[in-house]
Amino acid sequence: MRLLLPIALALVLLKPVAGVAAEVPDNGLPQQVDKLIEAAVPDFAEHASPLCSDAEFLRRVTLDLTATIPSASATRRFLADTTPTATKRARLIDRLLISPAYARRMQYLLDWILMERRSSENIPSVAWQSYLRQAATENRPWDQLAHEILVEGGGDSKTRPRARFYLDREFDLTVVTRDVGRIFMGKDLECAQCHNHPVVDAYLQRHYYGLKAFLDRSYLFTDPKSKQKSLGEKAEGDVTFTSAFDDTKGKTSPRILDLAEIIDPDGSNKQYLTKPGKSARGVPRYSRRKQLGIAVTAEQNRAFRLNIANRLWAAMMGRGLVEPLDLAHVGNPPSHPELLDLLGDQLHDHGYDMKWFLGQLARTRTYQRSSLTRDASAKIALKQFAVGLLKPLSPEQYAWATMEATGMLASTRSSARKKLESEAAKAQAKQAKMPKKTPQAGSDKKPKADPKPDKTDTPSAVSITISTAALESAVDKAVAGHIKTFVTQFASDGGQKTSFSATAPQALFLVNGALVREWLKPTTTNLTGRLSKLNDPTAVAEELYIGILNRPPTASERNEVIDYLAAASDRSEAIIELTWVLLLSAEFRFNH
Amino acid sequence: MQRDHGCHRIDHEFSRRGFLASGALAGVASLSSPTVAHELQKKQKRVLQVYLQGGVSQLESWDPKPGTRYGGPFRAIPTSVPGMHISELLPHSAQRMHLMSIVRGINLKTNSHHDGRLFMEMGRRAGKFPYIGSVAAKYLMPENAPLPGYLHVTTRGLTDFTNAFLDARYGQLKLAGPQVPANLIRPKAVTADAARRSRTLLKRLNTRFSGRGGQKSFTDSYNASFEMAEKLMARRDLFEGEPDGKDLDRYGRHPFGRNCLLARTLLENGGTVVKVTHHGYDTHAENFNFHLEQLGEFDKTFCMLLDDLNDSGMLDSTLVMIYSEFGRTPKINVRYGRDHWGTAWSIALGGQGITPGAIVGATNKDGTEVSEREVDGGHLFHTYLQALGIDSTAYHTLDGRSVPIGDPTRQPIQELLA
Repeated sequence: MRLLLPIALALVLLKPVAGVAAEVPDNGLPQQVDKLIEAAVPDFAEHASPLCSDAEFLRRVTLDLTATIPSASATRRFLADTTPTATKRARLIDRLLISPAYARRMQYLLDWILMERRSSENIPSVAWQSYLRQAATENRPWDQLAHEILVEGGGDSKTRPRARFYLDREFDLTVVTRDVGRIFMGKDLECAQCHNHPVVDAYLQRHYYGLKAFLDRSYLFTDPKSKQKSLGEKAEGDVTFTSAFDDTKGKTSPRILDLAEIIDPDGSNKQYLTKPGKSARGVPRYSRRKQLGIAVTAEQNRAFRLNIANRLWAAMMGRGLVEPLDLAHVGNPPSHPELLDLLGDQLHDHGYDMKWFLGQLARTRTYQRSSLTRDASAKIALKQFAVGLLKPLSPEQYAWATMEATGMLASTRSSARKKLESEAAKAQAKQAKMPKKTPQAGSDKKPKADPKPDKTDTPSAVSITISTAALESAVDKAVAGHIKTFVTQFASDGGQKTSFSATAPQALFLVNGALVREWLKPTTTNLTGRLSKLNDPTAVAEELYIGILNRPPTASERNEVIDYLAAASDRSEAIIELTWVLLLSAEFRFNH
Repeated sequence: MQRDHGCHRIDHEFSRRGFLASGALAGVASLSSPTVAHELQKKQKRVLQVYLQGGVSQLESWDPKPGTRYGGPFRAIPTSVPGMHISELLPHSAQRMHLMSIVRGINLKTNSHHDGRLFMEMGRRAGKFPYIGSVAAKYLMPENAPLPGYLHVTTRGLTDFTNAFLDARYGQLKLAGPQVPANLIRPKAVTADAARRSRTLLKRLNTRFSGRGGQKSFTDSYNASFEMAEKLMARRDLFEGEPDGKDLDRYGRHPFGRNCLLARTLLENGGTVVKVTHHGYDTHAENFNFHLEQLGEFDKTFCMLLDDLNDSGMLDSTLVMIYSEFGRTPKINVRYGRDHWGTAWSIALGGQGITPGAIVGATNKDGTEVSEREVDGGHLFHTYLQALGIDSTAYHTLDGRSVPIGDPTRQPIQELLA
C-alpha cells in the first residue's frame, strides 16, 4: 500500500483529509484497550490524569508518528481548529500516518529495534537505512519484514542490505541466536545456553538450542576475491547440548520454544545447490535458515505477535506491558496480560499492519492522558498507564525537533526545494529541445517510488511541482550529518528501552556546542530572526512557546519572558538566550 | 558445546519475586543502603586506576620467572619488601613495593580483550553491569563533589557505557589527555552574564517540569547532567596551562606523563575515581623490546604519582589499582611475542584499605597455571570495594529491583584487606 500525497508536507499536515477520519465504533480496539487499562486497578479513576490538552497531544503524536515536532504554523492551525476533540485528533493521526515523515519515523524505530545501535561493519548504513525506509514507505507488514531479514544471507546484491542483522553481528552464533530470541520473540534465552535457566523456569536449554539449530549450519563466508562477507550454509550437522549442572544430554532439530521440531526432509542431508568450498558460498537444497523465517513468523508462534505488539506499545506509551522488553516469561508476566493478547491478536489479524496499529494506539484515552499528575506527591505505579509517561526523545527525534524548532529545517527545506525546482526546470528545458519520445520507449528505468504530482501530467506546464517525497528525501540527505551528530551524542547503549539517563558531555554539547548555537543565529527565516522582528514582548513569548514547545505560554511564563526582555540591555541577545533556554528545557528534551 | 559466553547476567540476579512484587526485595536492599550512605559520609575516599591496555606481561612485571623455560631475557630484582622480587623493568616500583601489593593467581578463563576487560571492570564474566569505577563513584562521591565522579584520561578510547543500570551521573567521563574537553568553553558570543541569566531561567523552567509523568528520575538525571557539565566548566583551569616544569621533568614529557599529572590534579581537586590508560601492551611481536620501552615509561611516571599521593597524605585514602584485561602467554611465539593470556597473571594494588607489601597467590614454576589462591575478576571486584569500605555484598536498588553489587558467588580476598 502506497500512500503518498502529492502536496506539500505542510498541507498534508494541516488540511483535513476528507473521508479518512471516520468516527471509530464504540467497540473498536482503542475502546477495548482503554477498558482493560482502566479496569486493571480498582482506584484507577482516582489516580488517572485527564486527557491531555490539544497542544500536548499534537506535539506527542507528531513526535511519535513522524519523528519531529509540529511547525509553529501547524501548531497554531491545530489549536485554532474548533472541530470536536475526538474527530480533530483522529484526523490529525490519519494525516500524520500518510505523510512521508511517518516512514522516516518507522525507519528510525525499526533500526533501533533491529540493530540496537551497532556500528556498521559489513553493510553500509545508508543501504540498510534505505531498505528500512522503503519498507516503511510501503508499510510492509512486520511478519514479511522479519521473514526477509531472518532468511537473508547477503549473497544477492539486490537483497544484501537485509543481511545487516546477521552480518553486522559478525554472525557470532551465540549473539545471533540470542538476538533472534530477544528481538523477534521478546525472550532472552542467553542463560539457557548452558543449563535450564536457573531463575526463569520457562527458559529451557532446549529452547535455546532449538533456536540455534536453525542457524547452526550457516557460517560467515568471505569471498576470496572481493573480501565481501556473506552467509553460507551447510546441509549437515546437528545441535547437541549438555547441561552444565547435571550433564543431561540433549539433541534437537530446529524448533521454536515448545512447538514441534522441524525435521529435515528425507534425503536432504549433504544435498547442495552449491557445495561449500574455499571460494564457494555453500547453498544447501534445504535451508534451515529459511525455515527460521517461516517458523518465527508462523501463526503458532505467539511470542512473535506479542513481542512486536509490546515493542510498538512501548514506543507509543513510554513503557512496555512487559518490561524489560526482551524478558517475557511466566515469572515476569505482562502488566496487563489480557491486553497484550488482544493487541498481539489484533495486529496479527490485521496482517501485521504496523501503521494501522500505531494509529489505533494513538486513538486511545490511555495514549492521550496528560503527563501532568493529578497529585504530584501520589506514588503512582508507572505500569498502570494512568498518567502520560515521559519518553526521552530518541537521538533522531531530538535532532529533527531541534532543527524544526530553530527554523533551521525550514531554510533547509526551502533551499532543497529551490534546488530541485531548478534541476527540474533544466531537465524540462532540455526535454523541450529534444525530439518527442514516447514516455516508455527505450527506458528501462522506472520512475522513482514517489508518484508524479498531478500537475506534471501536462508536459507543457511551465510551473514545476516537486513531490513531497522527493523533497523530503532531499532534506534527509541535507541533514544526514546533523542526525549522525545527534546519534553520536545521545544514543545510549543497546536496543529499544524505556529508561533514560543523561551525561555531562551531552550537556556540554547542548550548552556550548557550536552546532546548536549556529542554528540560533538570526537569519531571515529562522526562529530567532522571526522573533527579533517582533516588537511586542507578548508576541515574542507567544512565538517562542509555540515554535519550540508547541503550546502558548501560561500567563506567568509570558511575564517571565517579558521581564527577561525588559531587563536585557541587548534585545537580540536576549532573544537568543530565551530560545536557548526553551530548547534546553526538560519539556523539550522529553516527549511528554 | 559452546559455553564461551557466561551467564552471570543481570536477570540471574533479579529474584523472580522482585519482578512480581516490586516492593518485596526493595526491603532487603534498603537495609543495606543506609550503611553504604553512612560509610561515604565518614571520609572522602578516592580511586586511582592505571590501566595497562592490551594486556601487560606478568613475566615482565609482577611475576618474573628468570631462568625458566618461558622466563624471557629479563632478571628479577629485589624490592623494598624483603623476599619480594619483581621484574628489572620496574626499578622504581621495586623501591616502593612496601606501599603496594601483588595478586599473582588471576585466572579469568578468557583470552579475549573485550571479555577480559569487562570481567576486570564489572566483576562479572558477562552481562551488563556497572564498572568498578562507576560503582565506586556512586558510593563515594560526596553530594557536592566539585568534579564528575568518574574521570578517564585516555588518548584513545572505546565508547564504554560504564554506568550500566546506574544513573548516568556515575558514568565515565572521558578526557582525551590534558587538553580542554570538547565543548567545555563557553562560546565567545555568550557573555558570562548571559550564561548566568539564561541558566537561572532554565533552572526555573526545569524545576516546574520536574516529576512530570511521575518519572522524577528522568528529569533528575537530565538536570544532573547540566550540574556535572557546570562543574567541569568551572574547573577548566585544571586543563589549561603548561604543567610545572619540575613536575614534567619528573613525570616525563610524553603523553602518559602528562596524563598522570592531570590525574594527580584531578584527584587533588576533588575527583573521586580517576582512571589513566597507558596504551600499547598487546605485544604479539617483539614482546621484550616493547615491554622494555612501555614499562620504562610506566614505571617512572607511575612512581612519581605514587610518591606525590604518598607525600601529600592522600595515598591512605586512595585505592590504587594497576591492572589490564589479561596477561601474556608464557610461551614465546616465533615473532618473539607473547599472546593473550587470561589463565595465570597478576595485578598490583595499594593504598586505601589494602595491606601493603603482600603477595597473594602464585603461579607454577613456568608460569603456565595458577598454583595457589586462584582468583578472578569477581574476587578482585569485591576486594576493591571492601578496601573502600563499601559493602560489596549489599544491593544496588533500582525501581523495585535489587541487584547484588558484587557477584554473590565470589568473595573478597580477605588477606589483602587492611
